[in-house]
Amino acid sequence: MSRFVRKAPSVCTDRPLNNSDVSTKLRSLKQLLTSCLGPTGRLKHVQNNIGGHVVTTSSSSVLLTSVTSSQPIIDLISSSILHHVSRFSDCGLFAAVLCLSLIQEAKQSGVSRQVNKHLLSLCTSYLQHEHCGCRVPVDLSSTQDLITLSLSVVSSKPACVLTEAEALHVSRLAVRAFLLTVPCGGPGPVTLGRTLSVGVEGASVLHSEVFPGLLVEVRDVFCLRTAETLRSDPLRVVLFSTSLAGDLCELGDGIIQVHPGVDTDSQILDQLLELCECVIRDGVKLFVCQKVVHPVLQQYLRRHGVMVMERVGLSLMEPLALLTGALPVATLHATIPAKAYGTVKEVSVKEFGSKTMLHLEPAGESAICTMTLCHRNETMLSELKVVCQQTEHVLRLTLKEPSALLGGGCTETHLAAHIRHQSVQEVAESASALGCSQTEYLLGVEGFCRSLEAVAAALHHDGGDSFMDLTHAHHWTRPADAMTENMEDNSALCCGCGMVQSGPTVDMKWTHLNTEHPEFSPAALLKDRAVQPRVLDSFTAKLNALQVAVETANLVLDVRFVIQDTN
Amino acid sequence: MFKTTQAMLGSTIINHRQHVGLQKLSALAGITHSSLGPNKKYKFIQDDRSGESALVCSCFRILENLELTCAVGQLVYRTVQTHQKVYHTGSGCLLFLAGAWSRVALECLQRGISVAHIISAMSEGLDVCFDVCRRFSISTERAQSQSSTASSQDLGLQVSKKPTVEGSQSSTEPKEKARDALKTLNACGQRKIRLSRHFSEAKSENISKESEDSQPKPPDIKYISERLSHGCVDAMNLVFEASRTQSNNIQQETSCPTFDITKVMTCVLPGLPEEHACVTPGCILLLSAEQASLAHCLKDRLLKVVLINGDLSFNYSHLGFKRPTGIQRVSEEAALSSSSKEEDWMEKVVTLLLNLEVNLILVSGLVSEKVIQRCSWRHILALEKVNVSILKALADASGAVPVTYATQLSKYCVGTGVKVAVWRDLSSYERKPSIAVNVSTGVNSKLVTVVLTSCIEGKLQALEDQFWACAYRLHLALKEKAVLPGAGVTEMLCIQHLQKRAERNSSQQTKRAALANPYRSVVLHLMADGLMDYLSTVMVNTGEFSKVQAWTAVSQQLQDCNQSPGAPSMFSEVFLEAEQEGRAVSFPVKSTDAPSTKVFDNLSVKQEAWRKASDLVFLVLQTDAEVITGIDLKTEAAQGNLMLL
Repeated sequence: MSRFVRKAPSVCTDRPLNNSDVSTKLRSLKQLLTSCLGPTGRLKHVQNNIGGHVVTTSSSSVLLTSVTSSQPIIDLISSSILHHVSRFSDCGLFAAVLCLSLIQEAKQSGVSRQVNKHLLSLCTSYLQHEHCGCRVPVDLSSTQDLITLSLSVVSSKPACVLTEAEALHVSRLAVRAFLLTVPCGGPGPVTLGRTLSVGVEGASVLHSEVFPGLLVEVRDVFCLRTAETLRSDPLRVVLFSTSLAGDLCELGDGIIQVHPGVDTDSQILDQLLELCECVIRDGVKLFVCQKVVHPVLQQYLRRHGVMVMERVGLSLMEPLALLTGALPVATLHATIPAKAYGTVKEVSVKEFGSKTMLHLEPAGESAICTMTLCHRNETMLSELKVVCQQTEHVLRLTLKEPSALLGGGCTETHLAAHIRHQSVQEVAESASALGCSQTEYLLGVEGFCRSLEAVAAALHHDGGDSFMDLTHAHHWTRPADAMTENMEDNSALCCGCGMVQSGPTVDMKWTHLNTEHPEFSPAALLKDRAVQPRVLDSFTAKLNALQVAVETANLVLDVRFVIQDTN
Repeated sequence: MFKTTQAMLGSTIINHRQHVGLQKLSALAGITHSSLGPNKKYKFIQDDRSGESALVCSCFRILENLELTCAVGQLVYRTVQTHQKVYHTGSGCLLFLAGAWSRVALECLQRGISVAHIISAMSEGLDVCFDVCRRFSISTERAQSQSSTASSQDLGLQVSKKPTVEGSQSSTEPKEKARDALKTLNACGQRKIRLSRHFSEAKSENISKESEDSQPKPPDIKYISERLSHGCVDAMNLVFEASRTQSNNIQQETSCPTFDITKVMTCVLPGLPEEHACVTPGCILLLSAEQASLAHCLKDRLLKVVLINGDLSFNYSHLGFKRPTGIQRVSEEAALSSSSKEEDWMEKVVTLLLNLEVNLILVSGLVSEKVIQRCSWRHILALEKVNVSILKALADASGAVPVTYATQLSKYCVGTGVKVAVWRDLSSYERKPSIAVNVSTGVNSKLVTVVLTSCIEGKLQALEDQFWACAYRLHLALKEKAVLPGAGVTEMLCIQHLQKRAERNSSQQTKRAALANPYRSVVLHLMADGLMDYLSTVMVNTGEFSKVQAWTAVSQQLQDCNQSPGAPSMFSEVFLEAEQEGRAVSFPVKSTDAPSTKVFDNLSVKQEAWRKASDLVFLVLQTDAEVITGIDLKTEAAQGNLMLL
């Protein structure tokens, strides 16, 4: 007897943002992400409910992928942030915190979404303007700016637990790896190469290295003997993407009927051996297969001085094809055309901690490199890997748009000061264009700027105070346990990005962030300064993060009903 | 800073001055206090549900048996596991200091010091400790036995080679001068040689005579290994034996003492008393009684060998091979049964082996019962479950090429010159009769087997762990060519330097330094206390001291040393003497007697353990929330301390 369960009706929530459950959850999400921001951000242990593997992290990409919610609004925000991160890698937390602050501010003030949109366009046009005070050009002819940029990314993730020297070493490696992926000259469109990373657990970070070419881990200790005998230059390579295990893997669910006397296994093996014979005749010295190679084949090939690398995995196939110029062979039933073979210059054995790897060097010019990342423990290593990928992405974005934004919260405060100033100047036109009263408009501006400043203030987690100077509108901090009460008494400090320095000779006024102060036009820094910024953020990533934050916030504020199917 | 337990669905805010994660770390470390130092105590770990229990001795084994599931527990276990895998020793020190320094961090939080300041000051403290390690490490070339006259000559060489040393050759008081010289070396940041008794023996005529001899002396393995035993004298003796056996087997002109840890294997035999532990060249494998007579026949002959990496049975196929399921056999006659096919295969294999004149098969996987029988009839000895690393070593030594299938074998795969000897008949100790054979490749092979025995089966793992700990200590010391003064001397020096650094800070605190980190000296002092705690716990574990006595003794020594200026090397080793000499220690030893270094520690093990301990503390200290994924709303939403998302 079957029993029917009545379907539960869908649940509809009216004005979800006014719902107490939703606002509690938004608050917790904000608290969770705000506490992660910046180089002194707090870490989170991520673990499943049965006490499995622990990941310690403060990156939005790791954190948000593991967080799913029963509230669609939370999922909406997290998926739009993750989408930004997948495209730009950097500034995920910035976007998330800004978005959540904007939602909170707009909920309190009830200002129309149009104002936020208008202010966003003011921001983007200012950031792209040539007189923008918080953007600096990146000099691609020297590595100085690139290293600063990558150091800013690397040191923004405390879960890597790096000392200063280690952080610098890793950022230099990241820049070197990036430079290796940029092909030299040649006409036509330029395609960037790839950086692969191999993690080695248990070794010191300072042992991390970058190699041109590929490093492939070898598990079979017996195959290394042939590696030493390979001397011809260059070595011919064949690359198989199909299994050479000698089974009938292509059969699928089909049925074949055979005579009892027929030994299918040995027939397949004979066919494979024929293939190998042909490969050896063609002078191949390195035989690479994505999947398993039958041991008899391996022995046969080795006897003929061919090095066999099996089970390299799908993820390495594309880089291998790029490096060697070989076309992966996907069938056993046709002869291998000459153009399918590739070449490598040299094969050598390298040892890293417990791992033995084969180093394949490209014969010609190739924009592929491998980064071996070493760290003392698993969770720190996995965060280091995330950070290095992020750095590589940021550097690539810089190639397209060679400028950067000042970091350390200075861009946020500067931008807020500029928007305040500009809005007051143009309040009448803007308000009438947007169809709201001037008070409403100014309220919206205040909310927007406060949200920006809140992100800058969120960089500190030890209870310090955030300040802004009234000349350049840069971001300053005074630690909670500092000896002096006033910013003015602190001699020889510098702002978040390191471009402005206070001293006895400089006359400077400060104000607490998020307090009333007369609006002013923030002065741009002198262009020919000797001072180099200490913290830089990716221009492209941050600009997009700003847009994502405002648009997501607007979308969330626009949601009138949430309808959930509870079945 | 909040400690929130943040779930995919949840969280609560706990007073930030009582960081739960750090408390957990400290509590976990507390479990292993008694497994610290040379006098380790065994622990039983019992599973109430299954009734099973384990006898454990080392910190790593305790953690392994505890099955920790909380986030901090997992983090600790993973870290210790990684450390153990690489170094095989020092896990206890790692975990103790993780606990001690997590208490430092807790104390700092309670005093209202910010996380950033704690981390920067503790990193500085760690740098101070590493600097101490670097400066006070002893080169193994110089660490020679006292009796040999070469040691003093060597030292003369060391002193006179340095251009910074002036006038020491003409000195009538070499002891004083040498010490001065070392101070100069310190100032240059070079490695310091700190064996004061050598200085007192140094004769000035030796110094000038020996300075031409620039050949580095091979390290004195006996001397070094004795000092690295850390209480496991028996295990270290086995290690030394293994090293000597390896050196003797290599018949080269330069019979330099070596220790190749990759060629050492262990074989545990329950049932025999512990004194029967021994070292033999070659590799010891256990055989069933049926094969015993065959082994007797084959002994003392040079055999041909084949190596099989996989199973030796009809049904075996290599990794990644899938048997097709959709094959139908169509036939008019009755098909051959699978048993007759197996018979064919067996016939083929045995014929092949006979043609190749093979008498010995070593298989990394299993060998089917039938194959063993059939081979025995034909005087072929098939040994199963042989470690892959042994296969590799035998392949290198005999010239055999390992294959996966027996049918692959050809004359190119056959190795020669392997001997099988019956090592011992174990029938009287085991329930089922068995014998142990020794498979060796004769001379020029470094392969040695260390046989570990115990009447108590549960103790064998601890014995094996101890052996490997000692083996790795020696291996690392020889690899790094340097050791640290042990028995707490390095820690004492670290405490002294940490305290010095802390005081220098508080006295010369400029406005700027104060601004940068006003709590540095507090944190450094607390870190030094953590090391004091470590030392006193080790002393308590010797059974001679109460915690208070130990703490007083350590601080008394520190004070004495601080009062006599210019003698940082004057700490005496007190912690291991009791154990080694089997009597009560004469403590405190007067710091004016020039102490001889009786105990060494490994440089990299200590540094890595400290570094990993601080990593754990930093990771946990900076963590303010746990995100738990996949919580079931219906069952667990009731838990009050979760903040649901």
